[in-house]
Amino acid sequence: MVAVTTKLRAAGVVASVYGFFLIFAQFAFVEILRGDGVGMPGEKVALGAMALSGIVAGFLVALRGVSVPVLRAALVVGAVAAGLATMAGGFFGGLFVAVLTGAGIGGATVSAAALLPRWCGVGWVGLGTGLGYALCNVPWVFSMAPQGQAWVGAVFAGVGALLAPKVEEPGRFHHGLPRAGAATVAVLAFLALVWLDSAAFFIIQHERELKAGTWGDGMLWRNAGLHLTAALVAGWWFACGGWKGPVSAALVVLATAALAVNAEAGRPVAGWLYPVGVSLYSTALVAWPGYGMEAWRMKSAATRAAWVFAVAGWFGSANGIGMAQTLHRVPPMFVVLAAIVVLVAVFGRRWRAWATPLGVGLVGWVFSKSKPEGADAVARGRQVYLAEGCIACHSRYVRPGDPEGWGPPSELEEVRNQRPVLIGNRRQGPDLAHVGARRSAAWLREHFIAPRKFVKDSAMPSYAHLFEDRRGDDLIAWLTDGQGDALVWRMQRAAEWKPEGTAAGDGAALFAAHCAACHGPGGRGDGGLADRFAKPPANLVDGPFVWTADTGNLPRVIRWGVPGTDMPGHELLSDGGVLALAEWVRGLRR
Amino acid sequence: MNEALDGERRAAAATACGEPPQPPLAGVHALGWLVAANAVGLWLSLLLLRPGWQAGEWTYGRWVPVHLDAQLYGWTALPLVAWLLRIYEVPRRWAEVAVWAWTAALALGCLNWLQGGSSGKIFLDWSGGALVEFVVALVLLWLALARGWLRVRGGWRLVALLALAGVPLMMFLAASPEVYPPVDETTGGPTGSSLLGSTLFVVGLMLMLPAVLLERGLQSAPVAAPFLRGGLKSALRSWTLVFFGVSWVVFGVTEAMGGTHRDWWQILAMLFLVPWIFLLPRWWRRYEWPEESRAWRWSLLGWWGLLVLSGVTAYFPEVLDRLKFTQGLVAHSHLAMAGFTSSFGALLLTLLGVRVGSTRTIVAWNAAALGMVVVLAAMGWLEGGGYGWMVERPLWRSVGLGLRTVFGMVMFGVSVGWFVAGRRAAVATACPGPGQLREVQA
Repeated sequence: MVAVTTKLRAAGVVASVYGFFLIFAQFAFVEILRGDGVGMPGEKVALGAMALSGIVAGFLVALRGVSVPVLRAALVVGAVAAGLATMAGGFFGGLFVAVLTGAGIGGATVSAAALLPRWCGVGWVGLGTGLGYALCNVPWVFSMAPQGQAWVGAVFAGVGALLAPKVEEPGRFHHGLPRAGAATVAVLAFLALVWLDSAAFFIIQHERELKAGTWGDGMLWRNAGLHLTAALVAGWWFACGGWKGPVSAALVVLATAALAVNAEAGRPVAGWLYPVGVSLYSTALVAWPGYGMEAWRMKSAATRAAWVFAVAGWFGSANGIGMAQTLHRVPPMFVVLAAIVVLVAVFGRRWRAWATPLGVGLVGWVFSKSKPEGADAVARGRQVYLAEGCIACHSRYVRPGDPEGWGPPSELEEVRNQRPVLIGNRRQGPDLAHVGARRSAAWLREHFIAPRKFVKDSAMPSYAHLFEDRRGDDLIAWLTDGQGDALVWRMQRAAEWKPEGTAAGDGAALFAAHCAACHGPGGRGDGGLADRFAKPPANLVDGPFVWTADTGNLPRVIRWGVPGTDMPGHELLSDGGVLALAEWVRGLRR
Repeated sequence: MNEALDGERRAAAATACGEPPQPPLAGVHALGWLVAANAVGLWLSLLLLRPGWQAGEWTYGRWVPVHLDAQLYGWTALPLVAWLLRIYEVPRRWAEVAVWAWTAALALGCLNWLQGGSSGKIFLDWSGGALVEFVVALVLLWLALARGWLRVRGGWRLVALLALAGVPLMMFLAASPEVYPPVDETTGGPTGSSLLGSTLFVVGLMLMLPAVLLERGLQSAPVAAPFLRGGLKSALRSWTLVFFGVSWVVFGVTEAMGGTHRDWWQILAMLFLVPWIFLLPRWWRRYEWPEESRAWRWSLLGWWGLLVLSGVTAYFPEVLDRLKFTQGLVAHSHLAMAGFTSSFGALLLTLLGVRVGSTRTIVAWNAAALGMVVVLAAMGWLEGGGYGWMVERPLWRSVGLGLRTVFGMVMFGVSVGWFVAGRRAAVATACPGPGQLREVQA
């Protein structure tokens, strides 16, 4: 039985190795090189030397044998390199530090990956990975000057060397895991993920707004929490069923994040997804060499670790960064290719599980053709109505007798001749068959942008994004098209209308709820939306309205609006409410 | 998931019984789609409460077809696919291709709807590449069934197989914007005869359901299985089947007559559904059902009675006039899908060897579904008095939608449990030969 302290120390080693790599090798060292005036070619040579040194050290450790002293020695080398980085200046000094750093990382990662199964279960690896990432995201560490971060990296490595436990368990921790699948395809899967991760990370770090939106103030703690949580989940998931679950999930999350960074609107989403995807696969990456084996031997675990860190770690990250530097984005086709590689690796032997969806998708892609855009705004607007699923909340059918006051009853034959028929069968909002006769185009536009400014606690979400291109205006063009007859019908109904009963309700409250947005809280025509309309809303306090002798028409105006203007009707108010509101409006006049 | 172990156990199962099971894969996929559809449904109910949470292009209206179609083509249809695969004893490899193709087509369809690819036909909004993908999946399923038929043969299976060959074409035609069912001009909704016709398909499925028992070799007392064993002459002796035939005749006549919900013949067409509340339990009593199917059978028959009664009642002139287009019809849709159809799918999967849920989770699911239906029906009735209720009573509307969300959370949680248990059971499956029942305790 291995003591809990050993497991905790093992998790500490993982956290230290990750912490050293992330805060020093990936961040501080590059910044120090730049600060020392080493140009881009020199930086590339130094980083190339670090990679080469890391690969050589990893394979040397795998060949000569893994042991705790070797792990400690590698971490000490890393700590020394980080310490020297703060003093070494210029290209050659940087090159020397790079070689030392690579050796330290290469030796430590391969050693730790092979030794872990002797110390702890894979859940502890998740804890260590999460802690490593989380500590690097602690604000004062993350925001520290590069020299300070180098010292933090040295501390990470030094602590890792001290924490490394003696091997207590002659056997290994296992979870009843079977053979993890062909090593080659697993390495390829990790390669795809590291490549994807590095490219997305580079873009995030080199776009000022994007970086502020994802690693800005206040978001570091969020990122730390996401890293830790995702790594813990990955450890648990790996322990339950192997590496393929977390790797598949990481692919979905990272691919979405990688695509999201390409689009302005998707970047906040990328900020949430990226830490999750990285921690999911990072845990699996460290655990796979040691835990994902049927017949465990330390030497073969070390060999697998050397291969996966060389190919996926060093090669994958270099290419991911190179791709992002050249293209400044993650090409969707690359994401598709990465997905195929991971799917093949995960479902390799169950080829039907990935080949069938791939085949079906390919057939659909071959036969899909983009819909031709309508020639005019009305035709395009109808397509927008379909695409946005407006039918899910709005009907377009007025029943005989207009029981709900939406406008003239629909002609069945006319409705049936639509392609497709858009009656709808349920709704959260009003019928839209004749909305163009009830509301002006300007009113509709403002309502699409901010529905709750017009209707308190409206269930309608904002569709402001439709007005970033022409879709919003097209939609309005369709909604207001061909409403001449409906307008006439509405005017006739308005002329015939007589309110029933007496005033009922709080006129002031009704005014605040239904009128203030345009007419202003005091009725002076200075509401928040007043300047959005071609003709400003009437000043009900001391405008021309004051001189209107006959206000008997006021309830009608409130109930039916003023056709041909931006003044809408208030069809949902009861007659008593309309009368109460009219009374209150009359009282506004001086 | 431990895929390799899964593979080994599948291989062991193949060795032990010659043919590994198909239902678990289709069943697990069905449960997976239930989880996905419920998650989207929950998201939609949250968006109704907090519209500000909508972000980017994936708007409320784009998520709705994902929710509806994942429920219909995923959770509801895949158990029927599993049944077909069992009837034709489709080889495992062919079955895997058919099920994965189905899931892939549906997943790509969801992506298409989220990208704004809806054709506007609710429950049939397949268009463009997504339509082609779904038709390809249907063709692959048919090919798998044909491959199975080559092994099992049988006359009636051939007839059914030939009939099923028309399904891909029918789907292609039905998804076309050119096609639309008859409309009652007074409501803008379906006619009574249309509702009778579509419900009779469901009745037919429920009449055939006991055939699963025969397939499994569990039916030891074929007291009355005329349709399945006794041929046409015996079938005609059954008054239930006679009434089934008469109902179809009524459908044909009233459909030809057309009309509205105020016409007596359309109301009569709807009333022809009422006897099925009693006839179906009577029909099922003739069979010996496995004990583990009891909870879902009761659940199914209960929802069936409620569905028919509420459907017929809601068709009466004054009631429909009040409920049309309101949350009341949303309540009825949930009664149909969350209550009745879900019970049907779960019962079918249970009979096929993938037991869905413990008694406790079945009760939780049904209680939550009933709660949701009651809340939505109450909201619909209030809204029917005037649409203004939705706007002028935001507090009560929010309370109703909030309760709906809570019930949705319960259903989502329960479905996750069913999926996890189903997945585990599929991995642990040994040999599911006829007559053997593998229990998957949720």
